[in-house]
Amino acid sequence: MFKLFRNLAIAAVAAVGFISPAAADLSDVLSSGTIKIAVPENFPPFGSLGASGEHEGYDVDVAKLIAKDLGVELEIVPVASKQRIPYLETNRVDLVISSMGANPGRAKSIWFSSAYAPFFSGAFATGDMAISSPADLAGKTVGLTGGTLEDLELTRTAPKSAEIIRFGDNAATLAAYASGQVDVLVTGNTVAAGFSKQNPEKGIETKFIIKESPCFIGVKKGSFDLLQWVNVFILHKTLGGELNTLSEKWFGQKLPPLPVL
Amino acid sequence: MSDLLVMLFGKPMGIMLFQLLSATQYTIYLSAIAFAGGGLIGGLVTLARISGQKHLRRFASGYIWCFQSVPLLMLLFLSGLGVPRLMGQDVDPWISAMASLTIYASAYLAEVWRGAIQSIPSGQWEAGRALGMRFFAILRAIILPQALRVALAPTVGFSVQIIKGTSLAYIIGFQDLMNIGRRWANAPVDGTEPFIVFPLMALIYFALCFPLSRFALYLEHRLGTIGKTPPAATA
Repeated sequence: MFKLFRNLAIAAVAAVGFISPAAADLSDVLSSGTIKIAVPENFPPFGSLGASGEHEGYDVDVAKLIAKDLGVELEIVPVASKQRIPYLETNRVDLVISSMGANPGRAKSIWFSSAYAPFFSGAFATGDMAISSPADLAGKTVGLTGGTLEDLELTRTAPKSAEIIRFGDNAATLAAYASGQVDVLVTGNTVAAGFSKQNPEKGIETKFIIKESPCFIGVKKGSFDLLQWVNVFILHKTLGGELNTLSEKWFGQKLPPLPVL
Repeated sequence: MSDLLVMLFGKPMGIMLFQLLSATQYTIYLSAIAFAGGGLIGGLVTLARISGQKHLRRFASGYIWCFQSVPLLMLLFLSGLGVPRLMGQDVDPWISAMASLTIYASAYLAEVWRGAIQSIPSGQWEAGRALGMRFFAILRAIILPQALRVALAPTVGFSVQIIKGTSLAYIIGFQDLMNIGRRWANAPVDGTEPFIVFPLMALIYFALCFPLSRFALYLEHRLGTIGKTPPAATA
């Protein structure tokens, strides 16, 4: 009987070892030799599965640079938007580089680094349409992806006569605009840039910006050393031009001035 | 292996097939662990369920009722996402998936086996007692060999359910066939649209489940199907 209890106790203690150790701060990452970084599961050009079966994108390249500068192995963890903060809080990942915008709500749970990628959501349409503010959307059909930043903003600011059609995801919104179902496309600048590249004959241009929402790297609360390191990394890569190279590669635009936290 | 597939099917199909097939091994491992662990615990629960002691029976009843009522998805959520949130510490998806599937399997298998044992006429138990055998001896020598024939088909049927149940583990980030397949289906790569990837995955799941059903048929022939065995003599 005692032997049974003793063996069970040993098994329980051993099982605890299966729970991953908290490799949260910089010294833990360096000593464990691996950094786990969350990247977008499917949000090109920030992160998506490439034809080679590996994840690729702006965020993935930034993650690779970080691992190289730290001198550790990189473990990419593709995540959905909802999983970004929980994974960080429970130590499943050490950093979140996943086109994450900073707002006070999120700042209650995690820390943000300085901005590393540009992102704004805006209204896009062909050159012949004279639109320069939400008021000009009167009487036009607007297509956007439901539940996004631009959805929240435009619902507030658009005039009553503007018809807003919400789609389930970016792909559906773009398809609707391409087929002429909607007159005006409201989405993120990178999504519009990708659309432009694939459909240059549409000739869409930016009409007005709805919200500037640059992307920040997420760090777990309390990992002060890691946060400082990431900020120095971003500064170094911005001044050195590596981020600019990546921006031109993935977004087709130069890296604009980004806010520093 | 991956080069061979790429050579045969070209990119990205070859790479996708390789990744799907490598992920299938984790589906197989998880199913095997769930079946073995669930079988072990289910066996214990079955014993408790048919035991003479009232409290053991009640406990086993409650256990079976509880874990048959809770959806597998909820078990996975609670162990894979709820516990990490509460404890603030990450739980390995393997541990969470194994625990959830084992508990789920144990509840259902316990009920199947209880039904099989109780289908044996009570005359068998009485005959065993008349020979002076005790509970476990009767179970081992008389009841279980007969109950095996009855339990075979539902048990294998449930093991097929376990294989399909592992596909839910993608929710907690478990890297099995379903997770990798979903990732490819969502990827903006030509040639990996959902209507290509999902039928492929269905084929792989079929290839996993079909041999199990055939094996069950073979075992039933070996052991003699129920219709062919004469009914046990009752007093």
